[in-house]
Order: sequence, then structure tokens, then C-alpha cells
Amino acid sequence: MIGIENITNNNGWAMAAVGASIVFLGLVLLSFVISQIHKLLKLWEDKEKYLDRLKKWAPAAGEEKSDAPIYKESRLPAAGELAGTYRPLVEKLKEPFELPQLFELAKKMDLPHPHLSIQRLQEADILVAQGDGTFIWDNLKANEGLNNV
Amino acid sequence: MFDLFLQFLTNTGYFLADYRHYIMLVVGCTFLYLGTAKKFEPLLLVPIGFGILVGNIPFFKGFGIGIYEPNSVLHYLYFGVTTGVYPSIVFLGLGAMTDFSSLLAQPKLMLLGAAAQMGIYFTLLGALFLGFLPKEAASIAIIGGADGPTSIFLTAKLAPHLIGPIAIAAYSYMALIPVIQPPIMLLLTSKKERLIKMPPARQVSKKELLIFPVVGVLLCCFLAPTALPLLGMLFLGNFLKECGVVNRLANTAQSAIIDTATIFLGFTVGCSTQADVFLTPKALGIFFLGAIAFSIATASGVIFAKIMNLFLKEKINPLLGAAGVSAVPGSAREVHLMGLKEDPNNFLLMHGMACNSSGVIGSAICAGILWSFFL
Repeated sequence: MIGIENITNNNGWAMAAVGASIVFLGLVLLSFVISQIHKLLKLWEDKEKYLDRLKKWAPAAGEEKSDAPIYKESRLPAAGELAGTYRPLVEKLKEPFELPQLFELAKKMDLPHPHLSIQRLQEADILVAQGDGTFIWDNLKANEGLNNV
Repeated sequence: MFDLFLQFLTNTGYFLADYRHYIMLVVGCTFLYLGTAKKFEPLLLVPIGFGILVGNIPFFKGFGIGIYEPNSVLHYLYFGVTTGVYPSIVFLGLGAMTDFSSLLAQPKLMLLGAAAQMGIYFTLLGALFLGFLPKEAASIAIIGGADGPTSIFLTAKLAPHLIGPIAIAAYSYMALIPVIQPPIMLLLTSKKERLIKMPPARQVSKKELLIFPVVGVLLCCFLAPTALPLLGMLFLGNFLKECGVVNRLANTAQSAIIDTATIFLGFTVGCSTQADVFLTPKALGIFFLGAIAFSIATASGVIFAKIMNLFLKEKINPLLGAAGVSAVPGSAREVHLMGLKEDPNNFLLMHGMACNSSGVIGSAICAGILWSFFL
């Protein structure tokens, strides 16, 4: 038997179609997977960074709650409220003090967004620059702010 | 005494030979000439050519001399071919020699390796059309993969009586790549397309190279478990090379082991072309279909690359499609040379190697698929 009849009788059309599809599928799958290997490796190598980011977005259940007020970056409290939070810290420091000292103390106390908060206190002139890289706490301004809260 | 002398004469090859032996001896000498003088795939053509000479020296049947006679030395050596042992060992060495970094850097080129396998399935239909039995047709079709060991492996499983002609056809066409592929590439591509420059491949990390053989063997062999003897060994060889802790094994696999297997594979395949077994109308049909298979495989790769360019922002040089056949590194070299001919600054070799390596994987999967159709 020869010709189209031989192809049809021996299931040739199906063998060719299925065989071609499988090999295509296999290599497409393999090429997709190998195109992702370097991305997965990068993810694995930078896992600390991504885990930190993930922790910030979704604090794990059972995490010890801090006594400090929790607020989002976009809803940073007003300067007066921040003055109330930061006054006890400033009292621990000897004036004039450097901002990194206050920053370290705020971080130790687990206060949220210390960098932004200190910046806001500066803008509100509660933290006053001495011109030599040190700062003092302006109690008057701080009380004004607290009264406005 | 004279009678004894006459009796001896009647036992000599000169007396027993007929015209078919002389034809095959000429073929053997041609292989040796092409391999040594023209340097066409010498590692394959030299052992095969010499095997053709040895296999076509006429002898008295029944003395346990010929390759098809049980208990002969050649028959034992041929055992590695008929059981598929040599092709698997060759794949081990091939894996230990192959650098997959160019493929990992440009995974999309793997699709060209898949497209070039279409030659196999068109030839399957062609062989059935010409009246070959299904198992014979599948064995002939795999010539389109342009992979000698894979062709031998599948033929040993499906149609062992055709190993000689199929192996000779596969290796001959691999050696004739510089003759077969360029006209097809020229015909199917425009000058503008041939001038397309490929961007430099990204740097591939050691970890990626290490993970690839594991991912490859799992994905491919889960899909086509019958390809395990080939792909399992290929990826094992590659893992030995990339893991860096078994350099002794990797070095042995890529030198002594593959060389030994190649010598015995080539020599015994050459010996299997005994004139009375080899010179049949079927063998002519196989050579005809082999040429068709190889040409369609080349054309499919090139055409598929052109189709991909319709959708890609960053165009690929369609010449690379021709390297999708698994003739490593012959077809990649041919693509590179053609690219250089058009533009002396267009270097396509590494990109071609990416297609070539995916072609090796693709043709082994095809062999597994075809084998599984007849289980």
C-alpha cells in the first residue's frame, strides 16, 4: 500500500500532528522556564531585601506591638503631636545635641518614621539649628504645637 | 598442491566479490577522501569510511566473520549500536562538551530548534506515502533531526534492519551541510534579513548553568520518558561539566569516553553496510527521503524565524533558523559563515550554537515521542 491511503491507514496524520505539537510544547515550556531561572535566582539572592519589604507591607501576626503610636507615612502626625512624642527623648539628651543622636534614640524606641518626624519638627522650628551641626529643643514652639493638637 | 592453491583462491575476496562490493568500496573510499582531504566531519566519516571498507570485504558466510553473524567479533562490537548503548554514551560526552550559556542567554532561540524538527514529521508522512512500514517511516523521519546518534538509537529500537542505510544517510547529510544548507538559506531570506545583527548575549551565571541540566532533564523526560537514554545522559554529562567538583569525570566523558564510543559507533555502522544488505531499493528510498528531511528541517527553521520576526520588536536573523537542526556545530558554523559573507562584522556563531543545542534536545525528544507511538 502506498500514497495517502498508507498515511491514513497507519495513523500518519495524527502521529505527525501530535508529535510536532508535543515537541513544540516541550521546548516552549523549557524555554519559558529557563528564561525565568535568572529572575528566580535574583529573587533568592536578594531575599532579605524582599522579605523586609514584605514585612513592612504585612506585619506578621503575633508580632510584639510597640507602645509607640503607629501611623502610616502618608498620615504623619502634626508637628505638635510629634513634639509630645519626641520631648521625652530630647530630655534624655544633653543640649545641644546632634540629630543622629535623636534619630538613634527614636529608632531604639521603635518610633515609626523617625527621619520624617525629625524633619517635620525641624520645619516647625521646634528643633532649632545652632549653625554648628547641633540642635536645641524650642520648648515654647513645642508647647504651642501641643496646644493646637 | 595445485588443488589446494585453487581452493585457496576460491576462498579469497577477489574471487567472491561482485559489482556491489566494488560499489561499496568506492563509497568507503569517498568517505575517507571527504573526511581526510576535504575535512568534512572527519571524526565521523573516517571511522565510517574505514568500516565500509572492512564490512565489504567478501568472505565465506558461516565462519563467524561478518557483522551479521552471531559470535563474530564485529557482531559483539555492533551490539552497542543495536542496543542503543553507543548513542547514549555519545550523548554523555556531548553533554560534557556543550556550553548551554548561549541558549540560557536567549531562550527564545529554543523555538527555532523546535521548528526545525518539523522536517521529521513531514518526512514521516513522506515515508508512509512511499509505502514504508510505520516503524521504518519513523526511523527514516528522524534523519530530519540531523543527529546521527539519535537516528541510530531510534532505528535500533524500531527498525534494526535499516540501521546501516539510515546511519549512513544521517552522517552523510551532516557532512554535506555546507552543500545542502546554504542554497536553502539564500532562497528563503532576503539580503536585508541576512544583515540583521543579533544583540550581544547577556552574561549567564554559574548557578544558571548548574540548574539548567536538572530542570532540563526533569521537564523533557517527564514529557517524553522514552527520551531518557539520550537526554538523561546528555544532561548528566552537562551537570558533570558545570558542577565543577567532578572535573576528572567531566574531562573523561568529553574526551576518552566519547572518542571510544565514536570510534566503535562509526566503525561498526560502516561495517553494517555490507553490499548485499545495503544496496537495496529501500536504501535508495532512504537516501532520497533523508535529503528531503534535512532540507525541510532547514527550511522550517528559517521560515519560523521569519514568522517570529513578525511579532518581535527586536528582530532575529532568520539564518539562525537553519541552525535549529541538531548537527553540532556544523550548521551553526554554516550560518555564521553566511552571516559573515553578507557583513564581515556580523557574528552569528554563538547565537547559532544556541539553536543547535536546542536542536539536539528537540531531536532527542522527537525520537522519544516516535518510539512511544509504537510501544
